[in-house]
Amino acid sequence: MRTSYRLLLASGALAVASLFAANRAHAEDKVVKIGILHSLSGTMAISETSLRDVLLYAFDEINAKGGVMGYKIEPVIVDGASNWPLFAEKAKQLLEQDKVAVTFGCWTSVSRKSVLPVFEKDNGLLFYPVQYEGEELSKNIFYTAEAVNQQATPAVDYLLQQGKKKFYLIGTDYVYPQTTNLILYKYLLLKGVPVENIGGGLRMDGGKVVSAGKYVPFSHTDFQQIVADIKQFAASGDACVINTINGDSNVPFFKEIVAAGLTPADCPVVSFSLAEDELRSMPTKDLVGELGCWTYFMSIKSPENKAFLASWKDWLGTESYPGVVKEKRAVDSPMVLSYDGVYLWKAAVEKAGSFDVDKVRAALEAGVDFTGPGGKVTMQPNHHVTKTVYIGETRANGQFKILKEFPDVYGEPFQLKALDEKLAALGK
Amino acid sequence: MALLAGLGGLAHLSAAEGNDATARRLLAQAVVSTGPAQQKLLAQLGDSGSPAVRDLLAAWTRDEILIYEAPDGSHVPVVLEEQQDAAGKARAVRIDNSQYLADAQHHELRFASGDLNAGDSDMRLRGAIQQALDSLTLADPDPDARRSAAVKLGNSQKKQYIPILQARRGREPDAAVRKAIDESLALLQLGDADAAVQVAAITRLAELQALGSVDALRRAVAASPDPRVKEAGRRAVQSIEQHISTVNFFGTIFRGISLGSILLVVALGLAITFGLMGIINMAHGEMIAVGAYTSYVVQNVFGSGFGFHITLPFSFGGQLLAFGFTLPGLNATGWWYESYFLFALPLSFLMAALAGLAVERSVIQFLYRRPLESLLATWGVSLVMQQLFRMVFGANNVQVNSPSWLLGHFSLDDVSFGYNRVFVIAFAIVIVLGTWLLLTKTPLGLLIRAVMQNRDMASCMGVRTQRVNMMTFAFGSGLAGLAGAFLSQIGNVGPSLGQNYIIDSFMVVVVGGVGSIVGTVCSAFGIGAADQVLQQVLGSPVMGKIIVLATIILFLQWKPGGLFSTRSRSLD
Repeated sequence: MRTSYRLLLASGALAVASLFAANRAHAEDKVVKIGILHSLSGTMAISETSLRDVLLYAFDEINAKGGVMGYKIEPVIVDGASNWPLFAEKAKQLLEQDKVAVTFGCWTSVSRKSVLPVFEKDNGLLFYPVQYEGEELSKNIFYTAEAVNQQATPAVDYLLQQGKKKFYLIGTDYVYPQTTNLILYKYLLLKGVPVENIGGGLRMDGGKVVSAGKYVPFSHTDFQQIVADIKQFAASGDACVINTINGDSNVPFFKEIVAAGLTPADCPVVSFSLAEDELRSMPTKDLVGELGCWTYFMSIKSPENKAFLASWKDWLGTESYPGVVKEKRAVDSPMVLSYDGVYLWKAAVEKAGSFDVDKVRAALEAGVDFTGPGGKVTMQPNHHVTKTVYIGETRANGQFKILKEFPDVYGEPFQLKALDEKLAALGK
Repeated sequence: MALLAGLGGLAHLSAAEGNDATARRLLAQAVVSTGPAQQKLLAQLGDSGSPAVRDLLAAWTRDEILIYEAPDGSHVPVVLEEQQDAAGKARAVRIDNSQYLADAQHHELRFASGDLNAGDSDMRLRGAIQQALDSLTLADPDPDARRSAAVKLGNSQKKQYIPILQARRGREPDAAVRKAIDESLALLQLGDADAAVQVAAITRLAELQALGSVDALRRAVAASPDPRVKEAGRRAVQSIEQHISTVNFFGTIFRGISLGSILLVVALGLAITFGLMGIINMAHGEMIAVGAYTSYVVQNVFGSGFGFHITLPFSFGGQLLAFGFTLPGLNATGWWYESYFLFALPLSFLMAALAGLAVERSVIQFLYRRPLESLLATWGVSLVMQQLFRMVFGANNVQVNSPSWLLGHFSLDDVSFGYNRVFVIAFAIVIVLGTWLLLTKTPLGLLIRAVMQNRDMASCMGVRTQRVNMMTFAFGSGLAGLAGAFLSQIGNVGPSLGQNYIIDSFMVVVVGGVGSIVGTVCSAFGIGAADQVLQQVLGSPVMGKIIVLATIILFLQWKPGGLFSTRSRSLD
């Protein structure tokens, strides 16, 4: 998952605890407490505050329609401050002190790994909304996030359909890109792409490939060498680039791609960490025609999405929570998956007729669904979500034009082992 | 230069429009004619290079060109608009003159999709249309599109493209496209059944040093039973790989110089404020950011304008404090808009110099004799400035679009030179030369050197050291601002932009030797070249960076003063 891109030395300078929401619900109402655990300060605040906002919106929407089983939702907002050990402390506070019924939170994989033991020990319930590398399954966490087979492998399928034969893998050097690229490497081999057509380099250890693709540090700015390499790789045609670079390194990367004359027509770049929210601060004019793959795009033309966007805009106009930016807002997949999570939880609570964690978990595992802005999402027994995957093409206005959809893709967190077995069966 | 490019673009546009009109008339005739006449028209269309006709031809293969039978018995080919009215009917656009189809009373006619018959198209015709489409892309007015179309045909492994490519080869004015066509022809001939043709194609590819053909050559060598093909193929691969390493060699040198220039541009300001003045200037990065944000504001002023409005998060006597301002936009377009960067450069220098002036007067002037306090104070200044950027421009990065004259590249024998990289090298040369001239050839430079060597002595000699300090710090900050303006063209612009470059800047200045401009130049190019060479050799930017940093640590153990250490009594 997307981790902090930079050691922002100055983080925390303005950290302000946000416990303002406690008095919102009327005292006479029956209330249920729900935790919001995101970084509202520090490096990750840019991304994570959007998720807090959309959660507050979802709660207001539900409360306006009578709440969950007659209980009004009372948000308990805590700030993880982009500080991973602090996430665990805040989780403990939510579970043991505030006794929340459920928590929505975390963005980076490292923050999720940090709170996981707390949720398991106190038998809490966490909904995690951001695309991640998989290879994890906790009985206390529900992953509305895109698993690798709901983003990376459908994108590769699409590119193979388009007649692409050579794949260059590049990413930032940490767990999400490394794992995703390793899975893709194996997936490509399984699809019959020869090893020499997978670019970026391989690292072997004890005769096994342990890392595939080219990696750059966080905040890397000099992509001359890599783009020259890609250009040579793409010279024989039918090539594409799979980009798991995270954060603002994408800007120098794409500027270099444009300067080198690599056009989407010759060699498209498909990016897994650039959604509408990130595109707001990218020179989109230079990115037109590059590809993206998510389970939600703002440009989806369904009535649910239109209603959602209109009502979200109204809410932004009227809400009075402090710190919510009102202008130039974009909606993207992590936000919608947070929103979907709230409704999946609500459906499970109503089905179980109780807020009890074990009963709600049983109801979730038995399968509940919700038709959200990105289409129908269904909770699976393995705590992941079946949903529709979309491939889109970037446009100059920072939106995606949808090129292809893969309906109802089953979320499968454990890819590496399954791929290894399939490859072994083929003798590769 | 921008002016010429702009005018050229306009002339080009109107020629293409005229071309479109003729081509549309040809197409309209082609749709309603039959037999050899139709084939001839299609061949003509293929040569027209009109992009509008390309879409229409594609529509024809999809049966989307419809025939309207006019009351007078003539047949008019049309396409229906996408936008439908309530009755599911859409207006029809005539192929020949791109106007709406209307009856004699000038009423626009509307049709549902089933109302009209599609223009006839059978398998053979479709083949001819496809061929016309292929040669159309080959005749595109944009050389890049032609080149890319030629490469695509070459990789298709379909021999029917050979005559199309050969026909285009004769008429192609652009040398780069001709080379691409030659490559594609050879690649297609590589798939021939006749070994002699194959060998000829292999020799041709080796002569052309076709980078993209290595894969195909390897495949051909593996597939062919003929020893002549195998031998020629092996030699061709060898020769091309030789060529690739030459390209990489020169490419690496160029990239090393360009990275060195960026480091130099970024560090030069610090070489003045830290190197010459001895202030451990942690706010150097924020001066760079001031320059970058200035480019952003200038860009917006050339576009639709720039405004900001902030409300302070606390109240004063029950009154919320708010302020803001708006700069009107010039709404410039074309080359005038693209030239914004030329205005941004001096303004970035000016803004950063003013910011430097303010910082010097408010904070640094009290700290000249206390370097450690200057470290803490400038660190504080840098935090304050970052927060100011956040308040004014928002926490997200902002978009700075590069002018098109900084975006492209040119290739010499497969080594590509990005315009922005060439620009930064020239830019570095200019500002180093300017700094050198200022320091050595002007009265101000003399004063600066005097004050920096021995502040007390200079003061005794009647130099107004306060004023010189102020000017020097402002100049150093201004140089940082120039760096920021350039960085906005290759990277992102955000509140923490400065943090990305502060370490590199200090590294360059310390390795070069504090107080030595020559040292800064040498160390910038040295680090840049080492970084690129290591990346090329190791194939990993992470490892390359680690080795460069480790080497620097060892180097500083050996020579703590850096490459060119200056000894002066005032430093002791």
